[in-house]
Amino acid sequence: MKDDPTLPRQPRLRAWFPGGSLLWPLAGLGALLLFNLVFATGFFRLELRDGHVYGTLVDILNQGSKAMLLSIGMTLVIASGGVDLSVGSLMAISGAVAATAVAKGTVPFGAAVGAALAAGGFAGLCNGFLVAVVRIQPIVATLILMVAGRGIAMLLTDGQIVTFEHPAFVFLGNGHLAGLPFTLFLVLLSLGATALVMRRTAAGLFLESVGDNERAAALCGISGTRVKLWVYAFSGLCAALAGLVATSNVKAADSSRVGEMMELDAIFAVVVGGTSLTGGRFTLLGSLIGAILIQTLTTTLYNLGLEPAIAPVPKAIVVVGVCLLQSSRFRGELSGWLRSRRAAA
Amino acid sequence: MASLKEGRRVKLRHSRSLPLLATTGVLAILYTSASLLYPGFFTVRVFLNLLGDNAFLGITAIGMTFVILSGGIDLSVGAVVAFTGTLIASLLTRGTPPGWAMLLALAIGSTFGGAMGFLIHRYELPPFLVTLGGMFFARGMSFVVSKESVGITHPLYQQASDFGLPVAGGASLPLTGILFLGVVALGVTVAHGTRFGRNLYALGGNEASARLMGLPVGGVKIAAYALNGFCSALAGIVATLYMGSGNPAMGFGLELDAIASVVIGGTLLTGGAGSPAGTLVGVLIFGTLQTALVFDGRLNSWWLRIAVGLLLLLFILLQRVLSRPAGARHP
Amino acid sequence: MNRMKSNAPHPTVRTTLTPGFLGTLSLTLALLLPLMLTAPAARAAARTKPLTVGFAQVGAESAWRTAETESIKGEASKRGITLKFSDAQGKQENQIKAVRGFIAQGVDAIILAPVVETGWEPVLRDAKRARIPVVLVDRGIKVSDDSLFATLIASDFIAEGRMAAEWLSRKLNGKGNIVELQGTPGAAPAIDRKKGFEAGIASAPGLKIIASQSGDFRRATGKEVMEALLKKHGTEIQAVYAHNDDMAIGAIQAIEESGRKPGSEVVVVSIDGVRGAFESMVAGKLNCTVECNPLLGPLAYDAVEKAVAGEKLPRKTVVPDRVYEQSTARASIGSRQY
Repeated sequence: MKDDPTLPRQPRLRAWFPGGSLLWPLAGLGALLLFNLVFATGFFRLELRDGHVYGTLVDILNQGSKAMLLSIGMTLVIASGGVDLSVGSLMAISGAVAATAVAKGTVPFGAAVGAALAAGGFAGLCNGFLVAVVRIQPIVATLILMVAGRGIAMLLTDGQIVTFEHPAFVFLGNGHLAGLPFTLFLVLLSLGATALVMRRTAAGLFLESVGDNERAAALCGISGTRVKLWVYAFSGLCAALAGLVATSNVKAADSSRVGEMMELDAIFAVVVGGTSLTGGRFTLLGSLIGAILIQTLTTTLYNLGLEPAIAPVPKAIVVVGVCLLQSSRFRGELSGWLRSRRAAA
Repeated sequence: MASLKEGRRVKLRHSRSLPLLATTGVLAILYTSASLLYPGFFTVRVFLNLLGDNAFLGITAIGMTFVILSGGIDLSVGAVVAFTGTLIASLLTRGTPPGWAMLLALAIGSTFGGAMGFLIHRYELPPFLVTLGGMFFARGMSFVVSKESVGITHPLYQQASDFGLPVAGGASLPLTGILFLGVVALGVTVAHGTRFGRNLYALGGNEASARLMGLPVGGVKIAAYALNGFCSALAGIVATLYMGSGNPAMGFGLELDAIASVVIGGTLLTGGAGSPAGTLVGVLIFGTLQTALVFDGRLNSWWLRIAVGLLLLLFILLQRVLSRPAGARHP
Repeated sequence: MNRMKSNAPHPTVRTTLTPGFLGTLSLTLALLLPLMLTAPAARAAARTKPLTVGFAQVGAESAWRTAETESIKGEASKRGITLKFSDAQGKQENQIKAVRGFIAQGVDAIILAPVVETGWEPVLRDAKRARIPVVLVDRGIKVSDDSLFATLIASDFIAEGRMAAEWLSRKLNGKGNIVELQGTPGAAPAIDRKKGFEAGIASAPGLKIIASQSGDFRRATGKEVMEALLKKHGTEIQAVYAHNDDMAIGAIQAIEESGRKPGSEVVVVSIDGVRGAFESMVAGKLNCTVECNPLLGPLAYDAVEKAVAGEKLPRKTVVPDRVYEQSTARASIGSRQY
């Protein structure tokens, strides 16, 4: 569709991450950063401590890595015309699997991580099966694992908080590479690999055409079933990775709470990033910016010392505000109102 | 294609009652097995408790049924229950008469729901995201009203929560249960006996053709969300009766339980098919499972989540087999 | 996009169906009613058997909580008591449902660990009408009628906060900037531990709380909040006071990552005394924890047995708390049960 060779060649980055305009998420992030520049002291201060970069900005990237990882998988799911509500619960399952395996001490670390990822991927595949083969609406199909998944995780840990001190596992969420948090590399690696597959092979085109109009895609010989199966399995894999990071971060698997409400953050990140909930065109970079935007908001609220219980209120205003800005009708009404104000003045 | 649809339609007409019957069958099986397994389960008291204990969930679920019938979804209900409950409790401690506090809560709930419906309809925003914003907003606002659970000492409340309609064998139906049954009856009447109800089914069945038929699509949609907001506020009132307090942290995840009950009750999440009566059965299934776990007392309570997940799967597959709706719908 | 759906409405079918269905449902229930009435009451059958006790627990949100659960479960099997255990997953409404379920089941006594202080009157009046004694553990409740519960077995959260403050005041010689990590907003221990701590530092005007935020009693949030506060206040922070050990352990990780040394450069004091805290003290990272004993099983069943026998119980039994610091931690870590 967009990769028409007759069109002038786009700049490289845009060619890799096309889709919705990155203008709105970037504007939102910019506004938030500007707010912090004016009102928060030391928000942008970066320094080198113990050989790694230290500062609020690094924290945002590190803490936001879970939402970023989730949003990569969620972008593809939403592009396929679906949604995955189960990611938060899958994070809990993956954390529980890895932590219980590592805590036993007999299982090699690689096997524990492999088992956690496999559990996430398999759960995702189950979602995909329900959506693609049984043809259940995605919101319901993934609701099942959202409800049941946390219960499964709680049974795995026997209702306890499983703690561990395994050096390699701890490194996953807390380690540093070249002075930067290791999680950042994990996110970039996942993003790069996904973007590569999506933009350098036909996979991305297939996905967008299935999300845009499944019947038309089928007539072109693209199997929506297969595309969706893979997309949900991939989302489960991303969730498992995010669960490993979250568990490693605090050296404990807290099945009842880890990943709680994270599915909403991830969906929000994707939508803010400019991928439409109706499917079709998608932008991975936009989702990443959306995830950073959310984490910046959370960190800003911590910094302001706002009562944490009240923190959802500004979050709500941002959610609805960003949605409204993406509605062309609202933008039209807004600019009409502004014009009339100017005319009156 | 057309003939195929025609065929489905014929099949549908016969299968319309099947989800409801299947749901009732599951309830009967669950109730019978729990009665056989646990002594003291098969009593009037336990059955009436089921209605009283799940009243606020049930009323929320009835409201949710309307939104889902219209083809939407509302994630804000749990937070609205918490907000209205906390608001009423703290107004009462400041000396507001209970009647006024309740009226105010109902007005706020309906307005809040209607406002979300307006945004969803006018700007064609995804219901999922707008009501997610509503959830965050209402949850935060309930903590603005009070940071901790507020006790209610009003004598009227004490009488109201102790009131029970004697049924038989010394057991009585508490006021919360009476309100729940009242809302179910009202819900069934509105859904099946009014023009609004018929429009709602038409809208949820197919928005485009409802529009072409000249139905007031926007008004119906906004009304469905407003009605749901009203029900959430009413559930908030019931929660204050049930607990004798307003707790800003209550109802966390209630929206999920409500949606699960609606789906288990045989209402299609794509809208257009289902009934508040089915939701009543769905809520009773949820309550039976929870009570059975308490009676057992050895199983991990997280089995409830797994059981509800399995039931969801069962009913969705059943609906799938009975009435294959064309194409998956976007959220 | 194809959103056309085949399930168009059929008003005639639907309207006739549902009332009929409801009618059948109510008829079935009416027929079942006499059956239910003749069913043997559980209470009568259970009388001769050993005690049946229902325990409505809050959830499994912290190591302290799971230790309490283990204590109450373990002690029940030791005494041959049939325990009905319910985990409310952190929700008050689930706890109320559980208590009502216990009442309907006709247990001999109920142990309740209330998640918040208010909202228990209606259900406790139910229990009283059914003559089932209720023993409260780990925190008190606000009720207009004190006879609604048999007794309360709990630690004094305010005293715990004060003990932490007094210890910290001695350690810092009455001068320093403190960051406070609060528990879940609205939870009784969070409110009382804050109150007690503030009262405890009032006598030392040099001690100042420069930031106070909720870490939700959780490791992950404790760490995240501490990271943000470290960026904001940097080296101004001389001490951290956390309302529970889990948050303190999270905060310690954040302090370490900021390049400062918890335990020496930043003094960390918390409450609960779980195993993780003792390990942390032995490692020199946590300075002090005020023990809040979760092993309430023996005391709870003593009270239950007395209450069932009709004996008079004191209104409140305060479980004594103890301050542990690094020097005492090493000696006692081996004998810790949780």
